[in-house]
Amino acid sequence: MKNIIYNIGYFIKEGRIIFKLNFWSNILSLFSIGLILFVLSLVISGWRISTEVLSLIQNEAEINIYTDETIDEKSLKTVIERINSIDGILESRIVQKEEAYDRMEKVLGEDAKVLEYFDDNPFHFFIEARIDIEKIESINKEIKLIPNVQYVRDNREILIRLRSITRGFKILGTFFIAAVGISTIVIISHIIRQGIYNNKDEINTLRLLGASEVFIALPFLMVGLVLTVGGGIIAAVLLYTILAQLYAYIAGPLPFIPLPSFPIMVKSLISIILYISLFLGIIGSMIGLSSSK
Amino acid sequence: MIKAKGVYLEYRDGTKALNNVDLQIKQGEIVYIIGPSGSGKTSFLKLLMGIEQPTSGELTVLGKEMNKEHKKNIRQIRRQIGPVFQEFKLIPGRTAIDNVILGMRVLGMPRVLLNKNALEALEKVGLTHKAFTKVDNLSWGERQRVAIARAVARKPSLILADEPTGNLDVKNALRIMELLRSFKDENTTVIITTHATHLIENLNEGILLKVNKGSIQQESMGRDCNEKHHL
Repeated sequence: MKNIIYNIGYFIKEGRIIFKLNFWSNILSLFSIGLILFVLSLVISGWRISTEVLSLIQNEAEINIYTDETIDEKSLKTVIERINSIDGILESRIVQKEEAYDRMEKVLGEDAKVLEYFDDNPFHFFIEARIDIEKIESINKEIKLIPNVQYVRDNREILIRLRSITRGFKILGTFFIAAVGISTIVIISHIIRQGIYNNKDEINTLRLLGASEVFIALPFLMVGLVLTVGGGIIAAVLLYTILAQLYAYIAGPLPFIPLPSFPIMVKSLISIILYISLFLGIIGSMIGLSSSK
Repeated sequence: MIKAKGVYLEYRDGTKALNNVDLQIKQGEIVYIIGPSGSGKTSFLKLLMGIEQPTSGELTVLGKEMNKEHKKNIRQIRRQIGPVFQEFKLIPGRTAIDNVILGMRVLGMPRVLLNKNALEALEKVGLTHKAFTKVDNLSWGERQRVAIARAVARKPSLILADEPTGNLDVKNALRIMELLRSFKDENTTVIITTHATHLIENLNEGILLKVNKGSIQQESMGRDCNEKHHL
């Protein structure tokens, strides 16, 4: 360890020499790795954004419960109590028919004039319940068993579709992580092997002088890390630019899509990409070093 | 320091390089190994450096066994050796002082000692003025001296010099031989292989190992040169 600390400057200098020995090849590798990691980061972003959007939507997941219009106040209270006792119900409240009318006016916007054709308020009061979406099936079953409940309306189809999109991103993301990981490891280990081959005489001399394998390997490990972490930084810059554009594009015309906070999103994605690049750099360099012995 | 008992070396292709070598070399001795090309001189040095392991027999270098099952000893032994290779094995593109320092770096010498020891070693070989010249721009003889400086700067217990005078003119060759001999005075064991017997015929101290077809015959040099004995 003492030997490593004493020679940090030497390892950096040697790493620079090894990098310069195949300068253009290394520069191209750096950008290739950057682009590969960028594609990976895009998939992770899609996955993260869709997951967050879904979880935000899930938190807002509601069902509307309609009862017999002639139900008396006592029975309605009993219905609400029964609803609140069901596992998965977060909260519930009565939406009076006036509020239901107002809501529909807002939804229809300019087309709300159509409501004027009705002499009376056509809406019925109902019970609005926020639910845990994962328990929607059991909630539906139990509610339907409550006396005086006539009909339950939910937006299950939309939620299920969103869930399947997120699953798709997850599968795609896993596949991309594996593909990108393997290709980065192959590239890095090949570069390291090439570097070792180009320096085999010097390495042999170091071995004859009694240098440890760690002493010999460190400059090559540094080159591997420079290539992957450098690639990670390129990917992070590209990702930042693309996400900033995406957020500006979505936040304006599509304000109802609940995107996760941009700074938090970018910060976590950049950290993930840099950690992945660091990890791939170490693994790739190790494989390159061990396979060249 | 070095002890060989019934050492045989046979390469994978079946070439028999050393046959039943028995010898003992003490600390601070100077040993000249002579013999025709292919006689086994370099093979013997390879054994001492741990580049090859004995096919059979016992070989102890610097108190450690050098057999296949003792591979972990090899790096420790190499760290106590100052090797001077026939083809120098200097790192191209680096200066003379960088090469000398590299030999010490691998040992983990403190940084403050690196420059000091390197300059001292280069001074010993008369190359202080070329310390910051790239080895690629040095003459053959100068490169040989850088290789020697790299070996001695490590303050080794044992210097192994393989044909250090090869390709040098007589004047430079004698100078190199005298330089290597001088390290004996610092209680360093020096082992030199050479096929240039004219360079050592007037020397009156040290041990002479005559290698022929893998067999080694040990003789004392100088006045008691006639006291030949086969070990």
